[in-house]
Amino acid sequence: MEPIIKIENVTKKFPEGEGEFVALKNINLEFQEGEFSGIVGPSGSGKTTLLNIIGSLDQPSSGNAWVMDKNVAELSHKESAQLRNLHLGFIFQVYNLLPVYTVFENVEFALLLQNKSKEERRKAVMQALEWVGLENIPNKKPSKLSGGEGQRVAIARAMVKEPKIVLADEPTANLDATNAHAIIQTMKKLNEELGTTFLFSTHDEKVMQYLNRIIHLKGGEVEKDEIITAQNPKS
Amino acid sequence: MKLAFQLAYKNLVGAGLRSWLNVGILAFTFIVIIFFNAYLDGWNLQAQRESIKWEYGHGQLRHQDYDPLDPFSINEAHGKLNTPLSENLTAVLIQQASLYPEGRMVSILMKGIDSDQKILELPTEAFAKSDANIPALIGKRMASSNKLEVGDQLLLRWRDKNGTFDATEITIIEIFETDVTSVDAGQIWIPIERLWNMTGLKGEATYFIASEKYSHSPVDKWYYKSQAELLKQLQEIIEMKSASSSILYFLLLGIALLAIFDTQVLSIFRRQKEIGTYIALGMTRWQVVQLFTVEGSMYSILASIVGTIIGIPIFWYFSTYGIGMPDYVTQQDMGVTIAQRIYPAFTIGLIMGTIALVVLSATIVSFIPSRNIAKMDPVDALKGKVQ
Ligand SMILES: Nc1ncnc2c1ncn2[C@@H]1O[C@H](COP(=O)(O)OP(=O)(O)OP(=O)(O)O)[C@@H](O)[C@H]1O
Ligand SMILES: [Mg+2]
Repeated sequence: MEPIIKIENVTKKFPEGEGEFVALKNINLEFQEGEFSGIVGPSGSGKTTLLNIIGSLDQPSSGNAWVMDKNVAELSHKESAQLRNLHLGFIFQVYNLLPVYTVFENVEFALLLQNKSKEERRKAVMQALEWVGLENIPNKKPSKLSGGEGQRVAIARAMVKEPKIVLADEPTANLDATNAHAIIQTMKKLNEELGTTFLFSTHDEKVMQYLNRIIHLKGGEVEKDEIITAQNPKS
Repeated sequence: MKLAFQLAYKNLVGAGLRSWLNVGILAFTFIVIIFFNAYLDGWNLQAQRESIKWEYGHGQLRHQDYDPLDPFSINEAHGKLNTPLSENLTAVLIQQASLYPEGRMVSILMKGIDSDQKILELPTEAFAKSDANIPALIGKRMASSNKLEVGDQLLLRWRDKNGTFDATEITIIEIFETDVTSVDAGQIWIPIERLWNMTGLKGEATYFIASEKYSHSPVDKWYYKSQAELLKQLQEIIEMKSASSSILYFLLLGIALLAIFDTQVLSIFRRQKEIGTYIALGMTRWQVVQLFTVEGSMYSILASIVGTIIGIPIFWYFSTYGIGMPDYVTQQDMGVTIAQRIYPAFTIGLIMGTIALVVLSATIVSFIPSRNIAKMDPVDALKGKVQ
C-alpha cells in the first residue's frame, strides 16, 4: 500500500547568526494509513519541525515530504491551506482555542471553511463533541474550561472534519496523568473506529505506551524506528 | 467573505470595551461630520433661497464698471441700456451719500429701485403709500446700528452728476427683516425716480435684476450674471468661510482612524497564535488578512449603525428647531448671508456619503497593518514569535 506520508531525504536548516542550524538531517520515513505512531526525543531534537513540515506549515530545506500524494514543497499557499483544511487535523501543546468562540463554534470552525450547510455542521460538531465527551457543554467559552476539557475541544476540532491525518504536538504536556490517559485513549479509540492516522510528538511515557510505533529522534536524525507489537497498555 | 464578517463580528464583540471605544470615537466622528455638513448645506440652501428673494432675482445685468466688491468705483458705474427697457428687468441705481443720524455722519449707499418691482421681497410697494418727500426703506441691521425707527426723518447729503453737493430730509417708512446683509447694512432704499431727479441721472442704472422670463442676449457695455453664477459665488464664499472648521472634522476622523490602526497593529501582534491557528485550520493567509481587515472595517460599520441610531433624534431636533446664530454673527455684515436660525439639511445622500467615507477609510486603515499577515511564517505565528 502507498504510504500516506512519505519523508524523503528531508533536511531542514534554520539561519542562525552568521551560519545555519541543521534541525533535521536527511530524514527518511514512511507512514501507512491508520498508524498510531509517535516521534520521541529530547528537547530540540526536531520533533516539532518535522510535524510542521508534514503539516505543510513549513517547507523542507531539501528533500521531499509527500502527504497524501502531494509534495508539500511544491504546494501553493492556497493548495496547502486546502490540504490542511480537508485532510489534516492539528492538536497543539497549548490548545490554541479561539477565545471569543464557544466550544461549539471552535469545533465548527473548520467546517465553516468547507462551506458545509448549517445542519451538516451541527450534526458533525455534536458528533465530535460526543467523541470527546463534551456534548453537554457546547456553549461554554474556552476561558471557562479545565485543561483537560480544553484539549478535548482541540481534539474535537481536529476530528470534526474526519481528516486522514492528525498531527499532535505534545498534546499531553500540560495535562495531569488522569487527563493525559483519557485524552490519549480517546484518540486511540478514534484511530481504531475511523482509521485516522495519528502522528504524535511527545516525551510523555504515558503517551508512548499506547503507540504502535515509536520513532526516536536525536539531533535531527532518526536514531531508532521501533514497531511495537500489540500489547495491552495499562490504564 | 460572509464568513469573514461573521468571525469579525464575533471577535469584535468578544474583544469588549476596546472595541466599543473605537466604535464610540468613530460614531462620534460620524455624527460630527454629518452634522457639520448638514449645517453647511442648510446654511447654503437658506442663503441661496434668501439671496434669490432679496438680492439676485433670476440674474443680474450689470454695468461693465460695476464691481460689487469695489466701493470706490461704484459711484461711476452706471449707464443707460441702449435697448428698449424690458419689462423683465428692474433697474437699480447705486450712489454714495452721507446720512446724519443724531448729528453723526455715516457713509452709506443709496439704492434706487422701481416701486412697482415684484421680483425682490423688498417692500417697495410702501413707497407709493407714503407721502414723504423721500421715503426710504432700511433693513433691521441698518436700523439698529444707527438707532433708527420708522417715522424718523434725517438729513441726507449727496453729490449730483456734476459733483455739486445737495441735501434733503428723508423719512424712514419701513424697516424690513432679511438674512441678506448685503441689501441691509449701510444702505437705504429709495424710489428710483427720486434718485434720478436727485442726481440728474435720468433713466440710468447700475444693474438690472432679471425676472424669471428674462432671456439674455449680449448687450454692449453690460455683462450678465445668471442666477446660477451668482449662487455659485455665494456658495464659494460659504465654503471658504467654513474651510477652517472642516479641518476640525478631518482631524477627528484622523484620530478615530489612528485608534483603529493602533488597535489593528496591537491585535495582530497579540493574536499571532490565533493567526497561526487559522492557517493550521486551513485558512489561506489572504483569508486571514481579509478577516482582520473586515474586523477593522466592522468598527466603521458598527459606528455607522450606532451613529445613525444616536444621530437620528439629534438630526431630527435640529432640522426641526434649527440652530440659533448668535447676534454678533447675524447683526454684522459678515460679507455673507447668514440666517438667524440655520436649519441643517440632513439628506440621505449626505448620510450615505458619510457612511461610505468612514467605512472606506476605516477599511484602508485596517488593511495596511493586516497586509503583513500575508508575510507571516505560520510556524513563527503559532509560537508567537513574529516581531
Ligand atoms: N525558526 C527557527 N529558527 C532557528 N532555529 C529554530 C527555529 N525553529 C526551530 N529551531 C531550532 O531547531 C531545533 C529543533 O526545534 P524543534 O522545535 O523541532 O524541537 P522539538 O524537538 O520540538 O523540541 P521540544 O521538545 O522542546 O518541543 C531546536 O534546536 C530549535 O532551536
Ligand atoms: Mg516541539
